[in-house]
Amino acid sequence: MTAKKAIVRMYNVGFGDAFLILLPGKGRPHRILVDCGSIKANGVPMQGVVDQIVADATDKDGTPRIDLVIATHRHRDHVLGFEQEGWEKVEVGEVWLPWTEDPDDPKARRIRETQSGLAAALVPRLQARLAAGSDPAGKAALDMALNALTNEAAMATLHHGFAGTPTRRYLSAQTKPLTTPHIPGASFHILGPSRDEAVIRDMDPPKNQSYLAHLASLDPGTGGAPEPFGAEWHGHASPPTGATLTAADKERIDAFSEDVGGLAAVALDKAVNGTSLLIVLKVGKAHLLLPGDAQWGTWNAALQVPEWQALLRKTTFYKVGHHGSHNATPRGLVDDLLPKDFWAMASTMGVDQWPNIPKKELLAALGKHSPRIARSDRPQDAPKPWFNTAPGYVEASIPM
Amino acid sequence: MQETAAVLELTLQPTYRRPQVRPLKIFAVDPMQGRTAGNRVTIDLENEPLKPGPVGERIEVVDYDGAHGRFYPAVDLDHPLLLMNDGMDPTESDPRFHAQMAYAVAMRTLQNFDRALGRRLSLGSGHGRGKLRLYPHAFHGANAFFDPKLNAVLFGYFRADRQSPGQNLPGQTVFTCLSHDIIAHEVTHACVHHLRRHFLEPSNEDVPAFHEAFADLVALFQHFSYKELLREQMQRSRGDLRERSTLVDLAGQFGQATGTGRALRTAIDVPDQKRLEAASEPHERGSILVAAVFDAFFQTYGRRTDDLLRIATGGTGRLPDGALHPDLVARIAGEAARTAQQYLTMCIRAFDYLPPVDITFGDYLRALVTADRELAPDDEWGQRAALIEAFRRRGIYPAGVFSLAEESLLWEAAPATFPTLELGDADTDILDEFVSAATAFSRERPAPAKPEPEPADAALRNRLKEYREKARYPTEAAGGEKDPRAFYRRLHAFAMANRGLLQLHPEHTIAVDGAHTVFRVSPNGQLLIEFIVQYTQAAPDADPELGGLPLRGGTTVVASWDGTIRYVIAKPLPNPTLTQGQRAAAVARRERQKAYVARCDAADPNSAYLDAKAFGERMRLRMGLRALHDGGLA
Repeated sequence: MTAKKAIVRMYNVGFGDAFLILLPGKGRPHRILVDCGSIKANGVPMQGVVDQIVADATDKDGTPRIDLVIATHRHRDHVLGFEQEGWEKVEVGEVWLPWTEDPDDPKARRIRETQSGLAAALVPRLQARLAAGSDPAGKAALDMALNALTNEAAMATLHHGFAGTPTRRYLSAQTKPLTTPHIPGASFHILGPSRDEAVIRDMDPPKNQSYLAHLASLDPGTGGAPEPFGAEWHGHASPPTGATLTAADKERIDAFSEDVGGLAAVALDKAVNGTSLLIVLKVGKAHLLLPGDAQWGTWNAALQVPEWQALLRKTTFYKVGHHGSHNATPRGLVDDLLPKDFWAMASTMGVDQWPNIPKKELLAALGKHSPRIARSDRPQDAPKPWFNTAPGYVEASIPM
Repeated sequence: MQETAAVLELTLQPTYRRPQVRPLKIFAVDPMQGRTAGNRVTIDLENEPLKPGPVGERIEVVDYDGAHGRFYPAVDLDHPLLLMNDGMDPTESDPRFHAQMAYAVAMRTLQNFDRALGRRLSLGSGHGRGKLRLYPHAFHGANAFFDPKLNAVLFGYFRADRQSPGQNLPGQTVFTCLSHDIIAHEVTHACVHHLRRHFLEPSNEDVPAFHEAFADLVALFQHFSYKELLREQMQRSRGDLRERSTLVDLAGQFGQATGTGRALRTAIDVPDQKRLEAASEPHERGSILVAAVFDAFFQTYGRRTDDLLRIATGGTGRLPDGALHPDLVARIAGEAARTAQQYLTMCIRAFDYLPPVDITFGDYLRALVTADRELAPDDEWGQRAALIEAFRRRGIYPAGVFSLAEESLLWEAAPATFPTLELGDADTDILDEFVSAATAFSRERPAPAKPEPEPADAALRNRLKEYREKARYPTEAAGGEKDPRAFYRRLHAFAMANRGLLQLHPEHTIAVDGAHTVFRVSPNGQLLIEFIVQYTQAAPDADPELGGLPLRGGTTVVASWDGTIRYVIAKPLPNPTLTQGQRAAAVARRERQKAYVARCDAADPNSAYLDAKAFGERMRLRMGLRALHDGGLA
């Protein structure tokens, strides 16, 4: 009998995440689906990926079964798949979401309302800005805002869908590892998101952030800047006596009044990523580090805990955070904690508007620890024998 | 003959003495506090001639609104109707009052700098920007900032939050240029930039935090100079300054209008030695320094008023219920005002003892202690001891000192063997510098455009003009222009000759970043004259790990009037001529800067979305005060 292995399968969704983890079980493998979404397909449309996942999760009796569905956070590139057809047939044991998705938690509700309210306010503004002319920065900002819209249909599946009446759990950082009867032998360390005020601040930007105040301050009628004074003060196109203002100075000053949409979109993106679950799945010797898109705030809080530092030193598989962007993988993790020769998978693809994702330097730094790195958009380059490739996915077998 | 007689006649006509001060009305806090009596105050400013704007010698207001692409009318503060009335009455609805208030508070702030520094601070930046500009309504947004490129402070305006506007009306327009604190804060940024131009470069996490903290300190201490406000608040808080009040809160209206339900920041904290380590956001980190200075200020204030309280209460020191006696309020308010002015002066004065680059909070403590001790060796009210203790309670320790005793916090004095700063040739006499700095202060400002009737004859007018000029500027008219470059060349030559002693890198270019004379009068009446030079250097090769900023080194030299070097305050670049200990510290400083860049990268969600070019200069992009203030904290 061969040694037991945990299989991690990364689907090529384009710009997004969809991971199916298969653990040895009696009669059939235990299955964990971590995220299923994309904002930009890479050949196969989302429905195609979902069909493939459902088929891959189907038992001999013809029923698809997934023991545990984890949605790390509500961004479209992590949940769009749950909007597609086919989930109603899938028997699911449990669904795990971050605590910020808890429908009964008032604090969580407030965070969700702030985030989706901001997204809803930004999208039409950014669309209008793009309609006015070519604007790469505006396009990038719009993509971020669209990513953060409520994604209601997908969230409905996660909250109410699936066959088999799954248990829903809303998780926050906790020192005691979680277990589930659906997957005996596996323990889950939930390292984030924390309920710490400093971390929440990242999810729920304080109202006095200038971009929020700016949006709130726009004139409801014109959608532009409010009139500071009555009409009797208008009508001076040139400076009063003496003052001079060069065209260049004027241009620079005018620019400060322009749309702060880009700034708001980045902050929103950070806010939603800040809700991301950060999990270490321990089964046998295998330690799978699944950070979703966790950002600095969540990581920083987790890295303060000595037990978790010790846990992270044992990592044997790392799902590279946030599609390989460099601020989703702390330097301290790479330099000080990750051991030699782990497996790493980056679900990513080059996108014109974000040339720094994935960050080459980060992949290179990870490469110094371990050559076992695969990218979803370059399955042909996944180094053998550590990875298998099949149409639609790359797969790693992690010893247990 | 006839001509001369006419000149004499004109000049001998009895003229009115130009008043020393110009009184102007302002909101002491902001319009939200408008209904209280203490909020509408009249402040006295140096009476400089003003053109409509106002446009003065160092500050000018240009009321351009970039959001609407229009100008608002300028205020003419020399108009007789306004001269009779101490300027316009405070109002939110007339942009001309906004210009008046921005000018008045900016001037008050600048005068505080002049007074503490012992010289007139110049705010020109070259490139045809000889004055600091204020744009009271520059843009739409809940923000205000100093832009070094425009050499201007730009104020935004916005509507108050509709759901939770605090004491504002929902949706009312809030003007940042009507907040005393925001004006003082931003103008201080400008002053600091003119004193230390490299302090806008975030080379370690204390640098941007210091800029913010210092701006808050100046704004907060200025509250105590408004007598009516101070008395009102003292009566309300019964003399207890540690109680949250308008005196110790910063930007009340702004904070409430943005829906936070409180003032933007406060000088009060609960001291915690761990907080500093965790605080990386510049305003948050800066607030620790602000609280430390205020903690010391409260202690000194307590010492100076305890006796008054005992006298007023028959020895118990416990105040009875009910309103305080107005005489008592006036006396303790007077002590508070004096103590605040002393602290403000001390805070500003410390600048001359700061290294030219890469400041830390610990450096600031050492500069405070050294500067104050130079002037007042006996520390009568225990100010320095209180400061050291307040810093300690917040975990602010300078690097490389043996203990927190006052003696070990002083900058190391230069050894007696150090060469003197010899500048004694005809062109570049250091004493000349002293004289011109001293006269710059007392020199009468040029008179307004038309003080007296002018003769119609052109030739006569010219003669008259010449006569007036000579009378007004005897030294300059007699001696002619000096070449300031020769002076700088001598300072440069001094540095070249003494690179090793000044801890400057032997191969890199040395820039003379500033040189000035300082006159101060100590509490015991002694005149302290000093000469201060700043040298800076930059490592020529760009290091990608520094995110687009150079690695800088530099040395501040403090000399006494005869050229004896008193202090050499250095942040050297790593170089082989340093002693082993100095080199280790220099290397550690470089590594600290790299680690800081890495931390900024991790915390900044933007960094994932920058293109290669922007990523290469990311620290430059982050360093703008506008970017800093996009955290929403003016």
